[in-house]
Amino acid sequence: MREGVVGGGTLPLTLPWGARAPAQKALRWRSVKLTSARQWWCFSEMKYIKCFISEIPWNYSWYYSAMSLVESQSEDRQSEEQVRYLQANSRELNSTFGYPNNTIKTSRYSVFNFLPLNLFEQFQRLANAYFLILLFLQLIPQISSLAWYTTVIPLMVVLSITAVKDAIDDVKRHQNDNHVNNRSVLVVMNGRIKEDKWMNIQVGDIIKLKNNQPVTADVLLLSSSEPYGLTYIETAELDGETNLKVKQSISVTSNLEDNLGLLSSFDGPDTKLMQNCGKSTFKRTHMDHLLNVLVLWIFLFLGGMCFILAIGHGIWENKKGYYFQDFLPWEEYVSSSVVSAILTFWSYFIILNTMVPISLYVSVEIIRLGNSCYINWDRKMYYAPKNTPAQARTTTLNEELGQVKYVFSDKTGTLTQNIMIFNKCSINGIIYGYGYDKNGQRVEVSEETEKVDFSYNKLADPKFSFYDNTLVEAMKKGDHWVHLFFLSLSLCHTVMSEEKVEGKLVYQAQSPDEGALVTAARNFGFVFRSRTSETIMVVEMGETKVYQLLAILDFSNVRKRMSVIVRTPEDRVMLFCKGADTILCQLLHPSCRSLRDVTMEHLDDFAFEGLRTLMVAYREVDNAFYQAWSKKHSEACLSLENREDKISDVYREMEKDLMLLGATAIEDKLQDGVPETITTLNKAKIKIWVLTGDKQETAVNIAYACNIFEEEMDGIFIVEGKNDETVRQELRLARKKMKPESLLESDPVNTYLNTKPQMPFRIPEEVPNGNYGLIINGYSLAYALEGNLELELLRTVCMCKGVICCRMTPLQKAQVVELMKRYKEVVTLAIGDGANDVSMIKAAHIGVGITGQEGMQAMLNSDYAISQFCYLQRLLLVHGRWSYNRMCKFLSYFFYKNFAFTLMHFWYAFFSGFSAQTVYDTWFITFYNLVYTSLPVLSLSLFDQDVNETWSLRFPELYDPGQHNLYFNKKEFVKCLVRGIYSSFVLFFIPMKTIHNSVHSDGKEISDYQSFSLLVQTALLCVVTVQIALDTTYWTLISHIFTWGSLGFYFCILFLLYSDGLCLMFPNVFQFLGVARNTLNLPQMWLIIILSVVLCILPVIGYRFLKPLFWPADVDKIMNRIHLWTRHPLLPPTQTKLRHTRPRRSAYAFSHKQGFGALITSGKTMKDKVFKKNSFSFKK
Amino acid sequence: MKRTSEESQSRLPDNSALKQQQLPAYWLQLTATGVLSGFFATGVFCLGVGIILILSAKSIKEIEIKYTKICGNCAKLREDATNFDKECTCSIPFYLSETMQGNVYMYYKLYGFYQNLYRYILSRSNSQLMGTDLKDVGTCAPFSKSHDGTPIAPCGAIANSIFNDTIILSYNLNSSIPIEVPMLRSGITWWTDKYVKFRNPRSKNLSIAFAGTTKPPSWAKPVYELDQEDPENNGFLNDDFIVWMRAAAFPTFKKLYRRLNRIQYFTEGLPAGLAYTVTGAVTWLAFFSMMAIHLMLKDRKMFFTEQ
Repeated sequence: MREGVVGGGTLPLTLPWGARAPAQKALRWRSVKLTSARQWWCFSEMKYIKCFISEIPWNYSWYYSAMSLVESQSEDRQSEEQVRYLQANSRELNSTFGYPNNTIKTSRYSVFNFLPLNLFEQFQRLANAYFLILLFLQLIPQISSLAWYTTVIPLMVVLSITAVKDAIDDVKRHQNDNHVNNRSVLVVMNGRIKEDKWMNIQVGDIIKLKNNQPVTADVLLLSSSEPYGLTYIETAELDGETNLKVKQSISVTSNLEDNLGLLSSFDGPDTKLMQNCGKSTFKRTHMDHLLNVLVLWIFLFLGGMCFILAIGHGIWENKKGYYFQDFLPWEEYVSSSVVSAILTFWSYFIILNTMVPISLYVSVEIIRLGNSCYINWDRKMYYAPKNTPAQARTTTLNEELGQVKYVFSDKTGTLTQNIMIFNKCSINGIIYGYGYDKNGQRVEVSEETEKVDFSYNKLADPKFSFYDNTLVEAMKKGDHWVHLFFLSLSLCHTVMSEEKVEGKLVYQAQSPDEGALVTAARNFGFVFRSRTSETIMVVEMGETKVYQLLAILDFSNVRKRMSVIVRTPEDRVMLFCKGADTILCQLLHPSCRSLRDVTMEHLDDFAFEGLRTLMVAYREVDNAFYQAWSKKHSEACLSLENREDKISDVYREMEKDLMLLGATAIEDKLQDGVPETITTLNKAKIKIWVLTGDKQETAVNIAYACNIFEEEMDGIFIVEGKNDETVRQELRLARKKMKPESLLESDPVNTYLNTKPQMPFRIPEEVPNGNYGLIINGYSLAYALEGNLELELLRTVCMCKGVICCRMTPLQKAQVVELMKRYKEVVTLAIGDGANDVSMIKAAHIGVGITGQEGMQAMLNSDYAISQFCYLQRLLLVHGRWSYNRMCKFLSYFFYKNFAFTLMHFWYAFFSGFSAQTVYDTWFITFYNLVYTSLPVLSLSLFDQDVNETWSLRFPELYDPGQHNLYFNKKEFVKCLVRGIYSSFVLFFIPMKTIHNSVHSDGKEISDYQSFSLLVQTALLCVVTVQIALDTTYWTLISHIFTWGSLGFYFCILFLLYSDGLCLMFPNVFQFLGVARNTLNLPQMWLIIILSVVLCILPVIGYRFLKPLFWPADVDKIMNRIHLWTRHPLLPPTQTKLRHTRPRRSAYAFSHKQGFGALITSGKTMKDKVFKKNSFSFKK
Repeated sequence: MKRTSEESQSRLPDNSALKQQQLPAYWLQLTATGVLSGFFATGVFCLGVGIILILSAKSIKEIEIKYTKICGNCAKLREDATNFDKECTCSIPFYLSETMQGNVYMYYKLYGFYQNLYRYILSRSNSQLMGTDLKDVGTCAPFSKSHDGTPIAPCGAIANSIFNDTIILSYNLNSSIPIEVPMLRSGITWWTDKYVKFRNPRSKNLSIAFAGTTKPPSWAKPVYELDQEDPENNGFLNDDFIVWMRAAAFPTFKKLYRRLNRIQYFTEGLPAGLAYTVTGAVTWLAFFSMMAIHLMLKDRKMFFTEQ
């Protein structure tokens, strides 16, 4: 199918690219790093390419060749296939197709279109649009009740803050674009290789890449300096995978001479990455949704009030206003009190607009931005070895970090480091690898333990460390078994080596396990140095030997072992085998039974420590037997029917009567602090699920190791049914054990479900009778996720404390998260590090990417990027909790202050003939939200801490209110409303009743409108300031400056606004000349203010003080203890040290893939298969 | 060397108190002692202030005389708008049982007069009242110009509806000829109003200064003839006018009308025990609102009760 045709004619050939990754995200080949090939000819490729390579002037033999690539894109484009035509190295022709050039543009604005475009975008927001409409309403003179600037100024400020933020973001994007666009690359132009910038590359250009160069385009490989046109690419920047992927040029181009140029066809905005960019849906928090609902409520409330006031106005006009016309005739257009009432409705709509706080959204944005900065700035989330701080990539989700209930975690690279370390081994019945102290006592290996000195071996890997000297001694002594053991490790593998500098070997391993084994052999003196398809060169204790590679009996999931057959320099044929203990045991020669028993004991020990184990064995093969076998093998390989079966039969024939050498133990290193973190998160009632592509054994082993499962659990269920019915039964059985009554018809949840509630409905929380764990594998999960089992699955799974889902495809990971989101009112968090976690990260409310593994894909799609799993507890319990608390305090206060502020107009309406008269000076209305009260509330929501970080980590229970959203919900909102009504009532009637009959000491009355306004607004500002002072628990200097400073600033502005100069300059705008001077020097004014403050604040203090006394929540009790401890620091709370007892569990995880052996040993015939198998492999 | 270059590349966040959220701070906690003592202290403070205020309010004497009904005839007369320029007087005798010592102030009080209506309160021109631009009547609707287009000075609904009853307090020393109690019509406005906010147009003669404008429709006299006795008290600087122009916050309000000139018999205040007569020359307003004259003695504090 992929045969290229040389010579005349054109033959389209199809590469089924995306086919290996069904339902995955489209693979993005946008900046791939070349690693292995010294040079790489490639031809950059777009989404879909049809290209005719014609006339490559510097190579006659390629006069006419043609190929066409049709690639089906996954997901939303699955159905649509496009064909792309291009001619290699022919810019003139390609330009006629109108492909874009390779300039990357992620920025949104330019200098010229910024203002209109940004404004247009901003007015698409509901809140801004509302205020714009309001502004237009205000311009209608008939209903205008406020000066135009009361809306314009706040709106301008809000818009400009957002615009500045957008502008800064966009400048950053411009810089990034420039950086990427200006990278240089070698390109063939007019028959010569020229250096050019990536942004000038066009579709059809042929480019030349060198090793370790980044690739900033979708390219098609034409030719490589490596044999068979192979290249090894690293896609870490795309999907986080550091293992190499093999790419092979199609055969028609692969014979290009080394010094030829390469072909690139390319389109900046059309590359896969760019195509996939920006499609991610904008995540919104629960708080955002709640706010939308509340704003709607406010609108209704507002409408209601306006309606009441309009009716009041109608009645008043009828009874009083009609007669008052002598003094104030109705406007001409007002024919009756009804008309007047209708107009008044709108007038009040304008006046009461401050109920919908204009600065709410912009304040929320600023607060989230600030709290995100704290995450970026946190030194305790900075990972020094990788030089990476934590990163908040989204600034809109902060408070949700404080509400997480479910954490979905990947395993490899997230819980574990994905670093395999050769830790221990058992050779011929002797165990090696424990550290010993001077007295020969076994000690726990720690940082201080002396490492083994490998200086005798010049080719040793300096990063490798081992703590048991006895093994080296045995090695040096020339122990036969030890030598054979390491020889076996250095021969039996599929690792590729690279030696750029003499003596500095770099291994490229398919699986980290294998790399660890070969590296161990290398350090102990059996250095695998290089290989060809027929030989393996090993440096044995300094002496170079070449083994002839006769066959690789490749690994497969069924066989769980791999073998190599080599001819030693001494002309002996040897088979070396390594594989799972369970399998290998049965293949051993009966003579090593006793050794086997000893080794099995050792394996148990290894497993107990959570190590991954492999058995190693060998067999010396009679030459004649090998020849016969080799013949059978070739036949099997060539057979057309049942080839796989036949081959495995042949293999089985060879892999028997093995002599046991020993066993290896590899540590799949957990990341630092993972068990502690999970314990802490569990205490915070966060449920952790592991969703992994790994095998059940490995996953369960890790689950135990990191405390997701505990030995003392009441039960662990395994769901592994292969059809609907078994899965259902397994799930129901599990549920029966956890909560027997939940299967009864009378169970409230069942009754609820039987009513067939309409979507979306929520399944309530169910409490099981103990701690349970559940393991489900991907196969069963596929059934469980089908329609009618969904709820069954969800109810069972949610009762478990820990859940392991193994053998999951990326899509399933996302489905599980989606399921949870659909039926549970909870916040989910997904954490992962690889491309296979991307879908889950995108699906969850919060996606966290682990960085530092050189991977980018997960990080690029995440909302928060941290470099260690253990930082999650800090992210959630400290930053999340603070963000949530701050956001809640902010919202409560913000709504309160606006209600108190606005409702005053409502009360005043009853005394001003419902004439839409405002209580305050228009300037106060303009500045109230924007200037007078913004900074204190900002300082509250940026600096406040109810308890410090130490306490919030020590008492994870404090996290609980966030999960149930106790601090700001509809109930709390109503409380704010009630408080606001009360405050406005007090703030209106106290001044009114006290002022209306009182006079100045020189007889002048003080109950004029302007004095009253001033009095009321000052009292209001004092009340809200004292209120926020009460809300603030953490008084920093900044809080003091902001809180009291704002109040002081109010008085300064007051004197400015009411000063002679300003008022005389604009007498009709600033009308309050001298009011401040005449009013604020009256003692009774201050007494009124004090009285109002006292009456407003006392009930709040009383409530806050009494509530925890009479109705204490769990949090209150903990807070009490904390306060007690802070006051008496003599009693430091002791934190129980975690003890883990590792379960006795064997782990076999041979994480690499079948087919690599074949690539090594065979020639071109096997290439296509290899190519297919590996090109789109995903890390498990 | 290598170390320093590594350090300069380090992305380790700054160790500043702000960035690490370690700012030195005081933790505010609601403790039992704090809350209870706070409550107690507030209570004591309010109680103390309350007592002081009640005591000081007791020394204030107040007499309120409502004349809406008593002068009902005049009110009737005014109901017919054509009679707006006819004078109508009525007298109300009353008896003062105790001497009102110290300063005595006379107020007029209007019930249910909505000076705080939105359109009413806006219907004035501050730039006109400052005397800078008499023709600036843009904000004065519906009383900005007369029918023939002449700008009204002072324009607007507030000025047009000025309270223009004349109230005279007489003292019957010995049932013969009543003595008119001497009253001051100055010093009843805010200093800032009288000297900053309100200005007459610059000219030697006010009537010339106001040329080109017309009087408000409900006024009997032009603004420069408001006070026949004191030429300084005319135009926009007329104290009664300034007091009226400071719109009240509530529909029931009182405004300072006159203060006692403490001379002759009245150096100590208003002597007790004798009959007084209030004569009101009600011109046109009375029909609408009920009015009262307050005689108030002011010592130092005014009555201000709380708690």
